[in-house]
This record gives sequence, structure tokens and C-alpha cells, in this order.
Amino acid sequence: MGFTAKAQVYNAAIQETVLGVGDKALTLGGARTQPLCSFDETWKNAPAVGVEVSDIPFETEGFPVLAEYYAGCESFGDRVKRASEMEGAKFVCLHFEGADPGGENKSVEDIVALAKEAAAATDLPLVITGCKNVEKDQAIFTAVSDALSDRNPLFMSAREEDYKTIGAACAMANGHKVGAESAVDINLAKQLNVLMTQLGVAPTSIVMNLGSAAAGYGFEYVASTMDRVKAAALEQNDTMLQMPVITPVALETWSVKESIMSQAEMPEWGDKEERAVDMEVVTASACLTSGSDAVILRHPTSVKTIAAMLAALA
Amino acid sequence: MALKGLDIFKLSPKTNCKECGCPTCMAFSMKVAQGALSLDKCPHMSAEALSKLSAATEPPMKTISVGEHKLGGETVMLRHEKTLVNRNLYGIFLCANMDDAEIDKRIAESMAVDYERIGERMFVEVIYVNAPAEQSPERCAALAKKAAETGRDLVIEAADADRAKAALEASGDAAKVLAGANAANWEAFNALAAGKLVLGVKGADLSEIHDTVEKLEGAGNKNLILDVTGASIKEAFSNAMQVRRAALKGGDRTFGYPSIVNTARLARGDSHMQAALASMFTLRYGSIVVLDSMSYAEALPLYGLRQNIFTDPQKPMKVEPGVYPLNGADENSICCVTVDFALTYFVVSGELERSGVPINMFITDAGGYSVLTSWAAGKFSAGTIEKFFKDFDIDAKYKNKVLILPGKVAVLKGELEARLPNWRIVVGTTEAIQLVRFLREFK
Amino acid sequence: MGLFDVVYHGSDEMYFKAEAAVKETIEKIGENAPVSFGNTAYYLACIKAYTALEVTNMAQLRDALVPIRAMMTRNNRTADIFHSGIATAMAAEVIEACKYAVNPKPYGEADNPNDNKYHGHMTDAEVRELGVPLVTRDIPGFVVLIDEAPTDEQAVALIKGYQSRGIFVFLLGGIIDQAVRKGVKMGFPVRVVPVGPDIIAVSHIISLVVRAAFIFGNIQPGDYVNMNTYTMDRIFAFVNAFTPVSDITVACGAGAIAMGFPVITNETKDMNWRVPKSLIINEDVDQWIDCSLEARGIKIKVTEMDIPIACSSAFEGEIIRKGDMQLEADGSRKDCLELVRTKDVHEIEDHKITLVGKDIDEFGVGEKICMATIVEVGGVKMQPDFEPVMERKIHSFINCLEGIMHTGQRDLIRIRVSKAAFEAGFRMKHFGELLYAKIKNEYDAVVDKCQVTIYTEPEKVHELRVEANKIYDARDARVSKLTDESVDVFYTCILCQSFSPSHVCIITPERLGLCGAVSWMDAKATNQLDPNGPCQIVPKERVIDENIGIWEDVNEAVNKYSHGALEQVSLYSIMMDPMTSCGCFECICGIEPFSNGVVIVNREHTGLTPLGMSFSELASQTGGGVQTPGFMGHGRHFIPSKKFMKAEGGVQRIVWMPKALKDSVAERLNATAKELYGIDSFVDMIADETLTPEGDPEALVEFLTEKGHPALGLEPMM
Repeated sequence: MGFTAKAQVYNAAIQETVLGVGDKALTLGGARTQPLCSFDETWKNAPAVGVEVSDIPFETEGFPVLAEYYAGCESFGDRVKRASEMEGAKFVCLHFEGADPGGENKSVEDIVALAKEAAAATDLPLVITGCKNVEKDQAIFTAVSDALSDRNPLFMSAREEDYKTIGAACAMANGHKVGAESAVDINLAKQLNVLMTQLGVAPTSIVMNLGSAAAGYGFEYVASTMDRVKAAALEQNDTMLQMPVITPVALETWSVKESIMSQAEMPEWGDKEERAVDMEVVTASACLTSGSDAVILRHPTSVKTIAAMLAALA
Repeated sequence: MALKGLDIFKLSPKTNCKECGCPTCMAFSMKVAQGALSLDKCPHMSAEALSKLSAATEPPMKTISVGEHKLGGETVMLRHEKTLVNRNLYGIFLCANMDDAEIDKRIAESMAVDYERIGERMFVEVIYVNAPAEQSPERCAALAKKAAETGRDLVIEAADADRAKAALEASGDAAKVLAGANAANWEAFNALAAGKLVLGVKGADLSEIHDTVEKLEGAGNKNLILDVTGASIKEAFSNAMQVRRAALKGGDRTFGYPSIVNTARLARGDSHMQAALASMFTLRYGSIVVLDSMSYAEALPLYGLRQNIFTDPQKPMKVEPGVYPLNGADENSICCVTVDFALTYFVVSGELERSGVPINMFITDAGGYSVLTSWAAGKFSAGTIEKFFKDFDIDAKYKNKVLILPGKVAVLKGELEARLPNWRIVVGTTEAIQLVRFLREFK
Repeated sequence: MGLFDVVYHGSDEMYFKAEAAVKETIEKIGENAPVSFGNTAYYLACIKAYTALEVTNMAQLRDALVPIRAMMTRNNRTADIFHSGIATAMAAEVIEACKYAVNPKPYGEADNPNDNKYHGHMTDAEVRELGVPLVTRDIPGFVVLIDEAPTDEQAVALIKGYQSRGIFVFLLGGIIDQAVRKGVKMGFPVRVVPVGPDIIAVSHIISLVVRAAFIFGNIQPGDYVNMNTYTMDRIFAFVNAFTPVSDITVACGAGAIAMGFPVITNETKDMNWRVPKSLIINEDVDQWIDCSLEARGIKIKVTEMDIPIACSSAFEGEIIRKGDMQLEADGSRKDCLELVRTKDVHEIEDHKITLVGKDIDEFGVGEKICMATIVEVGGVKMQPDFEPVMERKIHSFINCLEGIMHTGQRDLIRIRVSKAAFEAGFRMKHFGELLYAKIKNEYDAVVDKCQVTIYTEPEKVHELRVEANKIYDARDARVSKLTDESVDVFYTCILCQSFSPSHVCIITPERLGLCGAVSWMDAKATNQLDPNGPCQIVPKERVIDENIGIWEDVNEAVNKYSHGALEQVSLYSIMMDPMTSCGCFECICGIEPFSNGVVIVNREHTGLTPLGMSFSELASQTGGGVQTPGFMGHGRHFIPSKKFMKAEGGVQRIVWMPKALKDSVAERLNATAKELYGIDSFVDMIADETLTPEGDPEALVEFLTEKGHPALGLEPMM
């Protein structure tokens, strides 16, 4: 009797949000299908892969490929430029780890200078990630937003504690994009979007960071939260959950045991770089399958692999 | 739609004869509704009841046994809707076209992966043996024999009945699935599988697979698995999605079978791409997911992911209660205590390890709930911690009498001080992420 | 002269000054000379805001006078005053623009305007710097103080009073000299800005406001209505103007009111026009801060507590032993109590802490004292129903103090103050400081003002205790009288969705959350305090079947908050679309077919029920937000409710409960059975694990038959 597939296209769509400016501007969202289901309806915008660059050079011990990729880079700007040249990279994520008051405690001025240096080094859209210290992040996001006012960057992330300042200073004052970060809970995610909107941030300026975890580290919560958010957005037409989802995968996967234990410590586990890449690749793929519209990765092999997978699925 | 327990109970004999092993007919009915028992366990169901119930209790997706593993049997598309029942299996791909060195390398690498994680053995459950037309039946048989020696379950895919027969014979009991049945050879393959093997069905497209399954079911075989691999990554993903949707949402029982996805064929030689695809098919409807080989690099994230996804949302993953010494801790190191919720364990132990401070982590039996939830339910209290100290003889074994308590249960401090008078109870941080600094600054 | 005339006159006066200034300036520098305040992308922002004109030179400035004049309408309606008021501010901007056209630094030579006596124009960067905390409410609002206060001291008291509450202060005119005389530090960084020598400089403040609206509100130039709506809703500004108030100032004040900024003044002359909450005459300048904040609806967050000991959840579990104790208030031995009361806002003096009786240092060491803590709160949205919710929190507030232990509530509290806390300087008033700060912070959505009185005078405490017990009794009576019929709304609770994604509790007065922890009152308070939180209002207007407990509104809510997983719920039935369970239910009830009744088992009971299933086996059937007819999770307190499976005949269906559970609900269950069916000692008819063997339905039926249990005679449940 044969089999005829029925396309599952919803009447609702994931909201479209534009990052960056000019030719390289990137639109996230737009899908009316379940994640990655281009066979139901051709993608309006493909999910995107971005590259993480930190102001503190990455640990390269045991990562010869990563080290080689950035070999010869002398400055943050050099590394940003190199990162933006990765095969498949659609945006660059500037990770200002060094701003952490518990770490290098770089000043706001220093961070602004680095952000400008990075902006000069690439014309890809920029995503700005802070140091997870609420007060410092507010200060650097506000200042960087003013400094990069013509680049339409995305600031990650606004949380329950600081969404007001980041929403006002970055999204409302400069029209930039803000990542609303919640901890793998659909209701908290929605509540934050509602609060941001009430503050006066346009829904199209919001991208959701629903929280992430490396594969094996409670990823079921990530998957189920994304599954539910996408279902609410598409089946229930819940406009407060239709924002595109961005997942900073690298931030999670590069700090788990599988990626940091040296081969000397765990000989049977084999090559450390292979482990780190596979942890990143597996987690990224799982995030995209669950509904991320963009993932942030670190390793050139991961970026290339995931970009190729998305290209094959298009 | 699955039946509710009460509907089954109404048709049950209501005699509480206990012959099914349940104390009451109600308990039996509830278990059947849950899928934990099958209807035929009750010897006293009337014919009328059976005919009414069997159609309704027949699951939309069959549960197929591959060796000791169960595949399929899912009732929902996504785990949050209820739960996913049977986790997928991972397999490696061996083909008679490969040279022996490659075959040996794959076997050696993959067999080395064998470890335990949260009470689950992590290993390659399946070896996928391909017997192509280019190779002689003898060579195919030799490969099957070699694969069988690993003791793992075999999927044998053969180009034709001769090669299938040769490989099956050579592999003995190890063969669990005969793959490669298609529109042309299904009768011969069906005869070979003959009730003892799961039959793997393939085809040029879903329509062809659908037709072949109908024919096989017509011939009385409902012990099938569908190879949805297809010609491209996009087609494979589309096939896996369509088959599962048709079975669970579309009421199409013909597609109510588990699936095989062979990433080795979708991304030849690219191990990272295969890992990415294996991840995707773990989430979306691959039942046996095959890769070239399984190194630790691939295994660690994939098995972890699978363990996460195939947990019941109602029943959190638990770790074994006990003492976990970290960063080379011994009896003179400080101690901390938390619950046996796996996520708590991973997050907290990760941060403790990052701190580099030697510390003994005490995991108490808290029913697998998070700190606040188990505290609220009375499963994590001064009493349960005291019991843990007794069960594991902590007071005698550990000399550094500092115990760090999760900040969220600071309220337990006083009572703990009373119950553990030798110990200095210190209230720790409320979030794991603050632990590194807390420990480094702790004197 | 009436207020209309004063405004008209004032706006005329400003306009003529503007006209003259433009004329004079053009004569001096020509009509092609550029006009700009510098460091702004918004031209002359007031003019741009209300006319959409982008003025860049003197000729355009002259042309702008035409629409300004046109706004000064004279039809003696309120709108005329508002329009004229805003036009007055625009005319003021024209005058200021002329000053800057002639000299880009009219208010001083210093490069940093904060170093000049008058600040004048504010840059876009300054607008942003102030705008972000205004949007986030980190700065709760700003005040414009105009002209000279009655005394220098009052001027300083007002400035510092606002400053200490986080309010940004702008000064205009004579008060600046008063501040200078008193040595008040001024400038943007300290949030006190002397803008200019006279009312004309007010245009710089209005310019800041409209630019904030452009930047943060995306308001379009020329959009008069939306501009004023935005400033009213989002910019929490207000004006304090000292007598004598000039006509020009009155006209500007009208503009402020049009933008939603109330004006508080001690001028009484000609103020015969009343706009409630907008124009407030208050001759007592010392009351202006409270009066102004209330008029603009500004609440101040309390961030610092003046307490000599630490306060953190790390001390929550601390136990103070007898030997370490400075003194103790023990409700079981002495009169002690805690009470939260609602009072009219005007009867409360915010942050007043009073001690009646002896302080800690006046008692002997180890003494047992009498102690009453009365917290009085008031607010527009405060409701007496929140009193017990706040009162219950007193325990955890006080318990977090280092060296203080607190247990119990109402008149059964016990408080111990340690010697260490006493030596650190802890006294009775610090309880007040703590409770004030915690309540103002945690309940800021409903509490506008709060005062605390602590009594240690034994006779007074005794009197209060008698009085308080009447209040406690009345509260309990109210809770027990609350029925599903007597309220207009139910609430959702989705606190558990993190692990039971599709579960939604519907909380009604007679059916608390199945975890047993969230009552209807709690849900109501949670909703008021956190309107976007887990407890949402469910109206109950569209009834489908009140007996079974089906409302269209409830179904809609369940559908919405389960994200589509559930479509229907019957609140009073366990057979037909019963309410779902998350997994944290205290009890499960399940149908027992042989007796035609239900068994109830609580989480603590580990044995088998007569169904042949244990609690955990039943739990696996009922959890996860799935409807399983015949089985339902619920709270312990729901058992004696008249709504307990009302659709199936109510509590008379209960045939079995574990003994411990049975004992804990016996009294109320007997009362319910008596009231509903006239059955005496109903609980004695219910079997338990001590009366019939485990997992044995036949023995159960035998027992029930012997007792004549009513369930046996009821209609079959299925």
C-alpha cells in the first residue's frame, strides 16, 4: 500500500531575530516545524554555529590541533579574526572570562578596548558573554553595548537578577539583542521573557538561553525543557516562548572531566583532544536536535563537523 | 490510545485469585495498563474480555528483544510526555570488504570500552556484520565468526540468502538480528529468520519498507526492525522521524517497530560526524545506532547522553550512597555531605574536583531527590545523615571532623551538632558553582 | 486670579521671553548661526519631542516659536492647561538654546559640568547613565526641587532625605544657594544636580525626560499622546515647589502634571484647581518626602539593616543552649506572641520602631521574659489575608540572625538571644529593624509602610495576648468558613513543573495543593506578590457542572499551564478527569472495587493497601501529570473536606486508611461525616492495617460489613 509522509507544519513559527549588521547579519528562528525537520518545510533560516573566543587564551595542553589553529596569534583581535575564519562559523562569541572579580578582574575600560579590538577584527555578528558575576556583567555589558552600538550584538546573558539593567542598557537603549538565561525550566524561561517584555524590551530583541549541560550531566533536563518550549511555541502558539534558542555548548563541555583529564591521568580514555571534541560535538548535536537555533562551540573540528551536519540536513 | 487500568479491571474476573502473581485483580489491571505485565498472565480472562482488550492493549509500537535487550515499545514521542521506555543500543560496523587489520582494530578499540556509570554497564552491545555480494560466503562467515567471538549480540546484514545462511551458521547463538530483508528477498530471509531471529527490513524508500513489512506481517512475522538509514543524512533523519510519527501519532502499526541507523554509511570514515549523528539519533528514534568503531572519546558523551535521555522524568537518576573521596582525600581530609540525586552528584563533585581541595564527599540515601526536595520530603535530614554516619561507620573512620552542609539546608546545623557531637558542622554554599572559592578560602 | 489664568499668564510670560531672546540672539549672531546644546543626537529635545522639528540654526529656532505658540490654547479646559504647560517648557528650551548659541558654556568654564555651580544641559551619555537605573528602578525616581526652602536646614533635610532613599535630586533656583551655604556635595555622581539659577533651566530636565523616552521607550518625535503616556507610566518623577511660586513656575508645573509628574507645594495662593494626586498643597515642608513618594507611587527598597549581628540563612539552624543564653521569651511559660496587623497607611509611620518595656540589658542573665512583637503594615494592595502569610515568615526572618534562635508562631513562640549576640550590641529594637527591612523587601508588592512595636511590659503583653487570640481565632474561623462557593477565583500552582512537566494544581479554598504546602490563601498571596509567578488566577465564571467541579475557566487554565497536555479536570471527582499529580502528593486515594469505596494511603506508610499495591506502586500510576481515573494524589487536609470526591458521594466512600493517617484526620473527618450524613464516629468504620490483614480485600469487605460502612450501600463507582 506504500507510505505517504505527512508534512508536520504548524501555524505558529519561531520568532525571527537578527544578529549583527550588513552582509554577514544572521537571522535566527523562523521555523514552523519541529527542530531540524527541513523535510517538513524548507528552513527559512538554518540553525547557526558560532565560535567562542575568550580574552584569556585557551588552555592548549593536550590540545595540539586547537593550539595549532591559533598558532601565531598575538592578540585577542588576532584570535577573533582566526576564529571567524573557521569553516562553518556564522558568528563569534566573545567570552570575557577575564572580567571575573575572582580572577583577573579586568576593568570595564579594558574589556571595552578588547571588544573594540574584536569588532575591528571581524565583520561576523558578535555575541558577548560575561564572567557570570552579576554586577560585573552588568557593567561590562552596558559599556560594551555603548561601544559597539553599530554592531547589533547579542548579550549573554540577562538573568532574573540583572535582566533589568541589561535589558534597559543593551536592548532598549541601543536596540541590541539580549539572551534571556534561565535554568532549564520552561516556566522560569517564560517568566523572564514576560518580565523583559514588561520592562519594554521588544520580543524580537530576545533570544533564549534555556540553560545547558554537557552530555551525561543532566542533559535530560535540557532536552525536555527544549522539547517543551518548542511544543509550547509551535503547538500552543505561546508568543512568550517563541524566541529563538541559543546554547553556549562550549561553556559546558570544556569543563567536564571528559574534556580536562589528561591522558596521563586516564590512559584508557585515550587522546584528550578527541575526547573534548566528541563531547562538544555530541552535546551540540543533541542541543540542535532538541531545538537550539544556534550553538556556540570552541574547537575548529567541532565547528566544521556541526556546520557540515547542518548543511547535510538542510 | 492506551487503556486506563480501570477499563481493564472492569473486564477482569475480579476474583483476586492471585494466579497472575498480583495480590488483586486491580493491581494486575494497573500493571497491564502500565505495560508492566501482559494480559495473558491472567488465566481466567474471558474470551470476550480478551478480544476486547487485546486490540486496545496492543501497543502502538512493538517491543522487540535483541538478546537480553529490549527495543521499541515506546508510547510517546518525547520523554516529558510520560517517559521513554527502552534505551537505544550502540553498535559498531564490520564489513567483509574491510581488510583484517581494520576489522581487528575496530574490535580491539570497541571492546576496550567497558565501564560502569551510575550503576549501568557501558559497552558496545551490538556488532553489525555486513556480508556484501562482493565477498565470498566463506569470508562473510569468517567475519561473522570473529565477531561472534566477542560475545556481543550480532546484527548480520547479508546481500543474499546464501551469505546470510553462511554468516548465521558461523555466528551461532550470537546472531540476534538478520538484516537486509527487502522487497526482493523477503521470503527467503523470512524463512532464515524463522521465528528465532529479529528480521531487519530495508528498502529504497519508506514506501518500499512499508510494503515489505506488510508482506512479512501477512506471512505471520511481527518480530521486525526497520533499517531507516537511507541514502543521505537528511533522508535518514527524515525516515527515523516519519516512521516514529506514523507509529505513535498516525496509528500506523505497520511502522510500529524499532529502527536501525547506520551512521557508518552516512558519514564514511568521519568519526566526529558519526558521533554527532549518533547523538542526534539517540534523541530522535534510532534503536540500534551503528558507528564505525567505539572509542572512549565517542563512548563517554554518547553513553552519558543515552543514560540521561532514557531516564523516567518521574524517577530521578540516583547514585550509590557512600563515601566518594575526591582529589586524593583520605581520613584526614575535610568532609561534605549531600544527596544521591545524580545531577546533584555530578554538579557538586565536578566543582569539588575543580577546587583541587582533597575532600570526602558523603552521598546519603535521599531517594534520588535534589537537596531541597528531599529535605522537604524528610529524606535528607539530621536523622538520615546520622544514620549514614552509623551505616558507614564514619565517626570511627574519619579524623578530620569537619562536615560541610549544603547551604540550602543550613537549618539542619543545630540538630546535626546535637546528633554528631564530635563534628564541626559548617554551612556551605547554596549553589555548587560557589564551592570552588568557598573551599579554597576555607580554613 | 484663578489657576487657569495663572497658567495662561505664566506661559505667555515664558513665550514672550523666548520671542525676545530669539530676536536679540539673531541680532547678535545672525539667523544662520548654529544652535545646539552639544553632545546630543536629539537636537533641541523638547521641541523635537512635541513638534518633531529638528532645530539646528537660529532661523529654525525662530520658526519653532510658531508651533509653540499654537500649543498655548485658551479654551478653559484642563487640556489647555496641560498643552500650555508643555509649551512653556518648550519656550524655556528656546531661551536656553539662545544662551548656548551665543556661548557653548553658559554655566561655567569647567569642562566637567559637575565642577560648575550650575550644570545646565545634560549630555546623551548622562541621560543614558541616569536612564538605565530609572528603567530598572534601581533609582526609584527623581525629584525637581524649585526655589528657596523656608530654611536652609529644611532644604538640606529634604535633599539628604531624598538622597538617602535613592531618589535622584535636581535643583533649580534659590535652593542651590541654600545647598551651597550648607556645604552639600553636588554633581551627577552623588545624584544631586544643581541644574540652573531659575525655572527656565527646567527645560534641561524635561529634555532629559523626553530623551529617555526616545531611547528607552522608542517614542517617536511628535507623538504627544504616547510621549505623555510613557512619562506617566515609566518615569517616576515629581516636583517640589516652594512658595512663593511664580506664574511661570505654575505654568511649568502644569506641564509636569501633563507628563504625569505630581507637584507638591506649600503655595496656597490661587491654587483653586484640584487634580487629585497631581497637585498637592502641603504647608508642612517636613512631610514632603512621604507625601511626594506616595503621590508618585514610589516604594523604597530597604537595602541595609542597622543590626550589630550577621543575618544569613547559614544561621538558620543554629541552636542556642541554656548556658549560652542571655534571655529567653518562651511562649509556653510566659506571655509571648507575634502578630501582623493591617492598618490604614496614614496611621502608620514608616520605619517607626518602638519598645514598650525593658530592653535586653535591663533584664537579668538567663531571665524568661514576656514579649510581644506587633508588626503593623499598610498599603494600597495590602489585604488582611496576607497577615498570616507574613506572620509565618517571622520565624525564618528571626532565625537567620546570628546568635538568635526562634521557633513556633503566634503565641507559642520561643526566642532565645545568646550572650554573644547581646555582647555584640543586639537589643530589642533590632528585632524591629530586621522585621521592617525583611517585610518591606519581601512584600514590597503589597506593603507600602511598616512599623514595629515590641512590648516586654508583662501586663501589656498579657492584654495583647488576649486580644491576639481573638484575632487568631477569627482568622481560623475565616479559613474554615472559606468555601469554594464563597470565593470568586481559584489559583493555579505550577511550582512542581520542573520535574512533572504537565502537572497543574488547581487550588481552591477547600482543596489545597496536593503537596499539602500551598493553601488557597498562600496561592492568593503568592499571586499578588509575584504576578508572573507560579500561582495564577483562575476565574470560575463559566460553570459546566458545579457538583462534579467542572468549569470552563478551569479547563482553559489547565490546558494553558500544562502546555496542552491536559484538556479537562473535574475538581470533585476521582472517576472523571481527576486532577493530575506531580509526584509530591502527601496521599493517594484509589478505588477499591470490592467495597465500592476508596482507600487512602499516605507517603509514610510502607505496607500494602487492600488494593494489593503499596504507596510507591500507586504513586507510579498517579504521578507525572497523567490522569488515571480511579486514582488521585492529594494533600492530607483534603481528606475531611466536603469537596473530597463529592461527585462520587464524598467522604463516606473512604473504607481504609493507615492508622496513623486515620488518627491525624479523625476529628475533622468525623465532623464532616456527621454534618453531611449524620453518621457518628464515622472513622471507626474505616479499616486500617491493624484491623484487617495487608493486601486483603475480602477481609476488608468483611470488616466493613460488620461495621455497616455506608460505602457498601452506595451506587457502584464504575
